[in-house]
Amino acid sequence: MTDTRNALAGIVGREHVSDDPESLQVFSGDHSFVLPIPPWFAVRPGSEGEVQEVVVWANATRTPLVPVSSGSPHFYGDTVPGAPGAVMVDLSRMNAIKRIDRRNRMAVIEPGVTYGQLRPELAKEGLALVAPLRPRPNKSVIGSLLERQPTLVPRYHYAFPEPLRTCGVVWGNGEKTYTGEAGYGPYSLEDQWRAGLRQVDPKGPAQTDFVRLLSGAQGTLGIVTWASVKCTLLPSVRRFFFVAARTLAELTGLAYRLQRLRLGEEVFLASGALLARLLAAEHGVAALKEELPSWVLVVGVAGRALLPEERADVQEKDISEAARACGLELLPALPGAATGQIEDALTGCSPEPYWKLAYRGDTADVFFLAALDKASGFVATARTIAEEHGYPAGDMGVYLQPQHQGVAHHCELSFPFDPSDPRELARTKAVHTQIGERLIGQGAYFSRPYGSWADLVYNRDAQSTMLLRKIKGIFDPNNVMNPGKLCF
Amino acid sequence: MTLSRETYRQLEDIVGAENVSDDPVVLDAYAFEVLADLVRPEQSHFMPRPVAVIMPRTTEEVQTIVRLCNRHRIKVKPLSTGWYHFAAPQSDAPTLQLDMRRMDRILEIDEKNLIAVIEPYVIAAQLQAETLKLGLNINITGAGASCSVLASSCAYAGQGPMAYWMGGNAENLLALEWVTPAGEIVRTGSLGSGDGWFCGEGPGPSVRGICRGTIGSRGGMGVYTKCAVKLTHWPGPTEWKVRGTVPAYRLPIHEHFRVYTLAVPSWDAWADLYYQIYDNELGYVFHRQFNLAGADLAPAFWLMYNDHTKTLNDVEWMAQEPGMRELTEEMRISFQFIMAGRSVRDIELQDRILDAILAEVGGWKVKRFAEEDMAEFTNMYLQRLGHKHINYVWAGGYIGSWMQVGTPDWVKGYIPIASAGLERDAASGLLVQCGGDAMMGSGSGFPGGGGTGLEQFVSYDPNDRESTKAAVRHMEDAVRDATSYGFPPGKEALYLELSKTDEQVWASLAAANQPAVFEFQRKIKEALDPNNIGDRLYSTLPADRTIPADKTPATDRR
Repeated sequence: MTDTRNALAGIVGREHVSDDPESLQVFSGDHSFVLPIPPWFAVRPGSEGEVQEVVVWANATRTPLVPVSSGSPHFYGDTVPGAPGAVMVDLSRMNAIKRIDRRNRMAVIEPGVTYGQLRPELAKEGLALVAPLRPRPNKSVIGSLLERQPTLVPRYHYAFPEPLRTCGVVWGNGEKTYTGEAGYGPYSLEDQWRAGLRQVDPKGPAQTDFVRLLSGAQGTLGIVTWASVKCTLLPSVRRFFFVAARTLAELTGLAYRLQRLRLGEEVFLASGALLARLLAAEHGVAALKEELPSWVLVVGVAGRALLPEERADVQEKDISEAARACGLELLPALPGAATGQIEDALTGCSPEPYWKLAYRGDTADVFFLAALDKASGFVATARTIAEEHGYPAGDMGVYLQPQHQGVAHHCELSFPFDPSDPRELARTKAVHTQIGERLIGQGAYFSRPYGSWADLVYNRDAQSTMLLRKIKGIFDPNNVMNPGKLCF
Repeated sequence: MTLSRETYRQLEDIVGAENVSDDPVVLDAYAFEVLADLVRPEQSHFMPRPVAVIMPRTTEEVQTIVRLCNRHRIKVKPLSTGWYHFAAPQSDAPTLQLDMRRMDRILEIDEKNLIAVIEPYVIAAQLQAETLKLGLNINITGAGASCSVLASSCAYAGQGPMAYWMGGNAENLLALEWVTPAGEIVRTGSLGSGDGWFCGEGPGPSVRGICRGTIGSRGGMGVYTKCAVKLTHWPGPTEWKVRGTVPAYRLPIHEHFRVYTLAVPSWDAWADLYYQIYDNELGYVFHRQFNLAGADLAPAFWLMYNDHTKTLNDVEWMAQEPGMRELTEEMRISFQFIMAGRSVRDIELQDRILDAILAEVGGWKVKRFAEEDMAEFTNMYLQRLGHKHINYVWAGGYIGSWMQVGTPDWVKGYIPIASAGLERDAASGLLVQCGGDAMMGSGSGFPGGGGTGLEQFVSYDPNDRESTKAAVRHMEDAVRDATSYGFPPGKEALYLELSKTDEQVWASLAAANQPAVFEFQRKIKEALDPNNIGDRLYSTLPADRTIPADKTPATDRR
């Protein structure tokens, strides 16, 4: 133990190594139903070089590493050790915003940079970053993008890793490479910048697109040490509109139309129960839920660059026409929710406690990708299962986020519960498990198979699973990177 | 090298006797390739001849063929529509050419979810014709409308005039069906889970990340048998009322569109205009196309092309006519730009924004090319990209040099170097002297803009050995020019690679800034292609190559 501590301290400094059970407790479990396993140590490297040395040490000692970049709470089990004796690689110290380039609308950041940190810095330059739905302030930007968390503005979601472009990675075998356009330049961002290179193109180098390989990998292939992200201009005009309906099916036609036309900034569908949790404080959820429609299509409008007001006007008219063509009405407000609340929720970070936890103390979420026209069926299945278990179906939140410019939809079914009530905990866990199993069998695509979903998903595709294991063997031959996750 | 009769009969058993051939005349037709003369001994037009050609109809047939080739250690080279010498066998090792032309079906167009599922020989014109009927469009790559959509999506580049708005075909690629070199069928993303074609990512890591990068494997890593691509809204007529006289077809401009040739006084202004367009999110088609004829001759050439009373021989005097000289200067630094609106009010607003941008950067709309005839011609040319014969118009052959992709500020840095290089090399009289620069290319290599690359169009006579040698010298010069000014080599290096020995290629890969990627690619190839039936276009660095110490960042190597 002392030898290990000394070895790690020799790399990152004594003050950045921890084996104190109390401080390790935060890493030993999360809000998922993954079995808690305490790590052995936690280290907080401060540089790419230190990360690389930690990985090399782990290979020499065959020690499992679990990378983590966001602060608590965690939800998916991917940062809970899947094997005993693991060392957490806490990247929160690597929190430099290395560059913001207004002209090219690119930012280069380290993995510890959070949404709460980056957004105000970008705003000073007149820039913004497309983000997930009301992220917690301490959520790592790189972590979120590598997880392929859905982002709110589908028309900017040109491809799945967007707005993630290139990155530096220390692979599980200790090798370092840069990805995308950055992979063609020298191993120094400063040198690349001096040569006018801006890490814009995500593809490459050569026949690889390693950003895509790293995305969704749950830290099983390597550790990203920096990334470039594409920004948007900060809008100078913001408006929000809503289309209410009793059923999801009533809204899908308009949602499809908006995606096809790339109309709107933030575009998503949500159940009233989900919106109430998103918008209300702890004690207002139940009341707001009563006021809100059963289903809402939320559409943001943004005006930026030249003639922003006119842009917003044109979008508003086009959206309104599209709604009318579907027999629906565009509403300027939601009952019970002030416009400021909406804007805060869609453009800012979550207050404490995190909005998903504020209502009942905990949440169990089931999420997958699907075509929108299949979503109604999946929601109905989930509701039936919830009711069969006595879960109050009215509490089930549904969030449908168009991705890849409307080709795919992130479908998230959210079950808030009180974790201090053992019966409620057991019931919710059963609902969560059964819905996952049933929907995977029904054609819901669990593209991010966390926890117990992994076996179910990989058992459906033996060929891809074998290929992934071959790839894993190349980049992490000693299986030191987050063993026990996915199919590894 | 010939196939044994037994092996040939086994191939016949898979696809039927009528779909396999080892007739030398047939085989030479496959070996005859564009750009072969630049890389083959004695400027031969022929790449290595395959031992046979086979035309599978199904994925299962492809799999059986690939497995057979593994047993007999025969290399496999798939070919859909082909473009350049990459499509042919790359060595004299026995190679079976898979001609995918029988797999030519559009399997599905899902209008609501913006997805088309296609086989390898579906060409862009075919798919676009079908999608337009539904008010949808596709990204057509710079290779043109007669090229395979699957090939550019999975195996080659994928950029084109429309990539700025629609995404390049790398970004548009959804799920994919792939027969690996070992003969396994891999289905990526949602397809592998049995959930449809709509997503190519995951589950977990996306395996396409090992083979579909800046370019794909160019036929060097198995056979892609089906894929899905993302479609885009087409806010124009579902039926094109094409008019005009052959070959200058014209597409009338719908009220939701504007078609311009935009010009600026300097390359600095070009970059400023680009960034303004980028920030203001304008543009449906963004391309510098007409300059492929050369800046001194382009206006005269395109006006000749649109005048059925004139021929190529008229260009020289037309270029000297009063008015034409002024037009030539007016559009010396120009590009084609098509905007599309969701509605009339939308396109009218875009027009106002564009006018404001042009006023700010000192740019203008070229009036002659905004007149009905040239605007409609521009519209047809760039919405369909059916004029690829123009690439060869001056002397029968062309190569592209430069085209490094980067930010506009970076790209404008190499344009004068590239222009001067062409002028220097064309002075020999062995390359077409079209005057000024012949830089052309897409507004963006990926959706949303922010990165571009311009290609120098260099015309030569492929049937004249001295002209061909001059073209090769120009490519080598372009590499030297780029390097001496701190730019990486451009696309000419990609072409020239095919003339190099393995040792030369490996030395080049080892000298790359980050050679580790080619070590990873070797390991990937070893894992997926144990019998080495793919070719070297999936680039690998052998394990025994020495990498310079300053390019080995791993701690354990230090």
